[in-house]
Amino acid sequence: MIKPLWQRVLGYVVLILFLLMIILPFYWMFVTSFEPNTDISAYPPAYFPHHWTVSHYVEAFGQFHFGRFIINSVVVACTSTFLVLVFSSMAGFAIARLPIKGKRPMLIFLLIISVFPPIVVITPLYMLMRDVGWLDSYQALIIPYTAFNLPFAIWILRNYFLQVPGALFEAAKIDGASVFGAYWRVFLPLTKPGLFTAAVFTFVADWTEFFMALVFNPSNTMRTIPVGIALFSGQYTVPYGTIFAGSVVSIVPIVLLVVIFRRWIVSGLTQGAVKG
Amino acid sequence: MGTGAPESPNVLVRSRGASHLQRTDKRAGLSLLTPAGIVILAVTIFPIVYSVIMSFNNIQITQNGFRFQFNGLQNYKQVYSAPLFWHSVWFTVYYSIITVAVELFLGLLIALAIQNVERLKSVSIVIMLIPWALITVISAQMWSYIYNGVYGVLNAILQQLHLIHAPVNWLGQPTTAVISLMIADIWKTTPFVVIILVSGLQMIPKDYYEAARIDGANSWQSFWSVTFPQLRGSIALAGLFRILQAFGIFDLPFVLTQGGPGTATTSIAMLGEETLFTNLHFGLGAAVAVSTVILILGACLIFLSAFRGMVGEEAQ
Repeated sequence: MIKPLWQRVLGYVVLILFLLMIILPFYWMFVTSFEPNTDISAYPPAYFPHHWTVSHYVEAFGQFHFGRFIINSVVVACTSTFLVLVFSSMAGFAIARLPIKGKRPMLIFLLIISVFPPIVVITPLYMLMRDVGWLDSYQALIIPYTAFNLPFAIWILRNYFLQVPGALFEAAKIDGASVFGAYWRVFLPLTKPGLFTAAVFTFVADWTEFFMALVFNPSNTMRTIPVGIALFSGQYTVPYGTIFAGSVVSIVPIVLLVVIFRRWIVSGLTQGAVKG
Repeated sequence: MGTGAPESPNVLVRSRGASHLQRTDKRAGLSLLTPAGIVILAVTIFPIVYSVIMSFNNIQITQNGFRFQFNGLQNYKQVYSAPLFWHSVWFTVYYSIITVAVELFLGLLIALAIQNVERLKSVSIVIMLIPWALITVISAQMWSYIYNGVYGVLNAILQQLHLIHAPVNWLGQPTTAVISLMIADIWKTTPFVVIILVSGLQMIPKDYYEAARIDGANSWQSFWSVTFPQLRGSIALAGLFRILQAFGIFDLPFVLTQGGPGTATTSIAMLGEETLFTNLHFGLGAAVAVSTVILILGACLIFLSAFRGMVGEEAQ
């Protein structure tokens, strides 16, 4: 069925306008991060900068320890993503393939858990961590991030495990594989797309999380990127150049992730819709 | 995807020695569930229960840690009699309803318009996914520079278009501050809605449109008889995701407006954070947190039932 010409033209026009609206603020941030301070606070601003400088990048990494924030974010996000993959694939496999009672309540319970706002768990966790001296530590973020991302990952992986033919499980067992062996050698390799999806969603959620990071890890050496960027502040003015230099650097990994994994992100976003 | 797959086709095993093998499988299953179960229980269930307990106590920080003193509904009474609490609830509710409604509407228009575009597809998906994966705090800083009342680029553009005469301090007045916050939010999350809806549109079988055309339906009629009913699952999903996020809004006003001017953009999550960690009123804060949960669960139920009413019974 061929669409009328006006519909296709309209489609291109709307799409291009929409993409421009998305890109322009990024352009503005990118350009500003390379401008000297006098140009940043000039009015009216120049839409294309006259002078270029990398001094804000030097500041961000020298004076403001932005490198440290990046390391903190990477350590927390990678560790928690790894833990989520291990735990959720085990649980997802058990729910999809093993004879356990109460699967349905378990899945519904997971859904309800993922609806709860962080504020209700933050205070008790804060008190607990204060008591055991875990504030300003990596585990203060790794453990909650792992817990918060498990429900979605378990759901996703359970769906993928269900697609693997059950006969494979029986065949593996007849060949003498243990349940764990079947999970590890037969099922995990067949559900790589599900693992990618779960990994990307967990990583992005960890990378962007702000509330818990702000409350649990406020010290200058343990901040993650979002806390660092939110609390960048100068004596009298907001140091936009430095803030944007740090921001540009921390967007790079996200862009790479999106470019590489876009297919799995879209499939993850639409999983729920497919199930209706 | 895969919902139709059999749950456990143990036909081979069940005939002989079934009970033994079943038992090992069951034991393996439980041990595979344990790690995830422990983490979830420790980090979500325990704190939720604990929050409820806290909300019935007067909690003081002493040298030896926290001291609890049961005070019944005192915290709730105090919270519910504070105008600021109801102000923040009202702000959170109308903010969420307006932003999510605008996002769904814009998202649907854009998704319908671009569904015929064949080229540019993977590039546009990448561009639309970047705001989704962007740290909210970064987008907040970005918009605070754009909105800046002294050297913001928004003022420059509007002045050049002769829409305003002098620079406006967008974040300095309650009404414009709320609208600015909404626009920043809509900018970040509409692409997410568009992606969900475009994928939803692509899953509608082409024959349905063919059938509608043969029945003599025009574009408008085929939208209401085919597109919209087929798309309701995707719309409900996107709406639900967004409502959950919007009700918990914290990052954006924290950076962009600090809840101000005055208390104009103080969301319920911001109020909770302030009560807990600035003023250190743990009992009161817990009462705010528990109330937030009730509010969010209520909002989800209302959205789902309203949505089901709108699109008919089969939406389940």
